Amino acid sequence: MTLTEIIETFKTKLNPSKTMDSLERTANFYDESENGSGESDSGEDLKSNPYSNSATVAVKSSEATRITLNEKEPLIKLTDVWKIYQMGEVEFAALKGIDLEIYEGEFLVVLGPSGSGKSTLMNLLGCLDLPSKGTVFLNSRDISELAESELARIRGQMIGFIFQSFNLIPTLNTMGNVILPLEFQEEEPEKARQRGEYLLEIVGLSDKKFNLPSQLSGGQRQRVAIARSLAVNPPIILADEPTGNLDTKTGDYILDFLSKLHEKEGKTIIIVTHDLDIVKHATRVVYIRDGEIEKIEERTKNKSEK
Amino acid sequence: MRNSTYLKMALNMLLHSKLRSWLTIIGIVIGVGSVIGIVSLGDAMQASVQSSLSDLDLTKITISPGYTQASSNMHGPPGMRESGASTDSELTKDDIAALRGLDSIQYISGEISGSEKVKYAGQTATLSITGVDPQVWKYMTTLKTQSGRLLEPADKYVAVIGSSIASETYDHDIGVNQVITINNKSVRVVGVLEEKGEGDDSKIYMPIDGALNLITDAKKDVYDTITVKARSEDLVDSLMDDIVKKLMVSRHIIQEDDRDFSVTASKSMAESVTEMLSSMTLFLGAIAAVSLLVGSVGIANTMFTSVLEKTKEIGTMKAIGAKNRDILMIFLFNSAMVGFVGGILGIMLGWIVSYGLQSMMGGDMTAGGGVSISLMIEGLTLAIIIGVISGVVPAYRASKLKPVDALRYE
Ligand SMILES: Nc1ncnc2c1ncn2[C@@H]1O[C@H](COP(=O)(O)OP(=O)(O)OP(=O)(O)O)[C@@H](O)[C@H]1O
Ligand SMILES: [Mg+2]
Repeated sequence: MTLTEIIETFKTKLNPSKTMDSLERTANFYDESENGSGESDSGEDLKSNPYSNSATVAVKSSEATRITLNEKEPLIKLTDVWKIYQMGEVEFAALKGIDLEIYEGEFLVVLGPSGSGKSTLMNLLGCLDLPSKGTVFLNSRDISELAESELARIRGQMIGFIFQSFNLIPTLNTMGNVILPLEFQEEEPEKARQRGEYLLEIVGLSDKKFNLPSQLSGGQRQRVAIARSLAVNPPIILADEPTGNLDTKTGDYILDFLSKLHEKEGKTIIIVTHDLDIVKHATRVVYIRDGEIEKIEERTKNKSEK
Repeated sequence: MRNSTYLKMALNMLLHSKLRSWLTIIGIVIGVGSVIGIVSLGDAMQASVQSSLSDLDLTKITISPGYTQASSNMHGPPGMRESGASTDSELTKDDIAALRGLDSIQYISGEISGSEKVKYAGQTATLSITGVDPQVWKYMTTLKTQSGRLLEPADKYVAVIGSSIASETYDHDIGVNQVITINNKSVRVVGVLEEKGEGDDSKIYMPIDGALNLITDAKKDVYDTITVKARSEDLVDSLMDDIVKKLMVSRHIIQEDDRDFSVTASKSMAESVTEMLSSMTLFLGAIAAVSLLVGSVGIANTMFTSVLEKTKEIGTMKAIGAKNRDILMIFLFNSAMVGFVGGILGIMLGWIVSYGLQSMMGGDMTAGGGVSISLMIEGLTLAIIIGVISGVVPAYRASKLKPVDALRYE
């Protein structure tokens, strides 16, 4: 059985296209409600972006469509980035001089064995941490020079995080978790709720709105986390081992979903993983070992080795 | 983030909080409850003392025989100091004569008192009889009659009786112009006093000349007490000194040790009672404050633990766009809410405590009882402030957590 066949079986079983259908349906629904046109074709193409058309988005639409000035300019740029952890007397360099440019619209997979510094890199890309040495530029701005509140704004509006351990707020129900980023951006409650409904429909959890995270399966939790990462419609999705705690089936569903987001929404997706399988979705793969970039590989999507 | 969202998040945190948090709230409940209980009890006591002091004549000075060193500075009630070396001393009309020259004295009168059998309608009761100078008594006393009149200069075998003698002591009520028998002598009741609520209600007042013949060991021109009314309240202190000096001279006493009389002002008595009361309220208040302090340390402790427990959540919230201020406010709102809930329950507890204590201490206390609205509001505000103050440090620490470190926390 070829890998494609396997994927096909999984696809039919988990039926991610059904989800995408619902996404499209919702998209049309949004189009209708805003254009007033009664047109309701099945809408195979998703060119009309439901996010940018919807008024529920907290971020400015200009940001959602294009951040960088042109394709040549990197969205994120790392120059000689070091991360050194001080443990008492001992110093440990988790990243040793990383140079990397990430462009808008990429599906970047950072691949490396455990302990190679992937999460450390990820934290820098997501403005969760600052480098010990070197510079991280986000849209040509040095993140080390930004105030904490500014970094919080960037995290809240530009980046959607997906974690290996889901990191849902245990005391908030599904809906509460999904719209939490919108609350931090002071979105109007009614619009936030609509947005939440919409996203939960996309990830197929409309019937679990009031479940607490503890009342969901692992896969469902990660879908909630994905919906949450899309709440503010950020241009960048950062995922650290998003499938690490899931079985292959569910993992594939999640990856297909991210892949669709990349293709149809033009989102920049960065996944950090040690799972070789994920590579097949990537447009570029960064191999990292012992805190250094081993090689960078350009790819054409979905042309995985048979 | 909006305030309403902070409130929502904080409430969510409170509702999902562990038993530990609710135990912490009990600390605040007890603290606020005891403060409210004690303050309202203190208020009620103050009110009741004030009402009994208000009809106290503050210009009154009482001279009584006997003197003890220990009580010399204390101005306690006269009854307390009859012990001592010189109980056999007497106050006589010579003493009154000696004092008459003092300018600050408005009225002066000698009084005798004793307990005698009083018969009415076939029943006998032993009652306290006070013989007073009918010339001046009605100007000196603060007592008022509910029916009849006070004593007049020409009276002799007549009496003014306390309200409980009139209506409770005997099966039949005694009215004005009824005749009672004291030591086989008929005495006509000319007045019934208003109720005062203390021992005064079972006293009989008579002109001293009449009382002299009725009270068993009373002697002419010998008094149990001499009562003086000062011209004004301000003169009381200096007048007391003058009286002591005058009497020392007239009684040929040279050394302080040989002194055989005491001088007491009702003013200083009133002062010492109020003083005692307020220091008692202060003392109890201090205990309540300590329990509040303990309660707030409890809140702080719980907040620290809950910040620690929620470290990973804080990291997540920061990753999805929470500003430091958002985290700070969520935790502050949470601790304010703990204070609020504790305050509400504390007010209820305080009300029960104050009601219970007041009814325990006697019926007339409950008149001023209950917890006033303003005290409730103060208690609640206090509880919220305590919640916020004890939450400030943990909330600040939570807000300053670095997102990476918080996310890595297990
Ligand atoms: N806070 C820290 N203090 C000290 N050392 C750290 C710290 N964080 C990470 N490291 C070290 O840095 C190295 C890289 O860690 P990192 O978490 O980036 O690995 P990773 O590639 O994500 O591994 P995995 O695939 O297991 O998640 C590890 O050797 C780790 O021990
Ligand atoms: Mg990792």
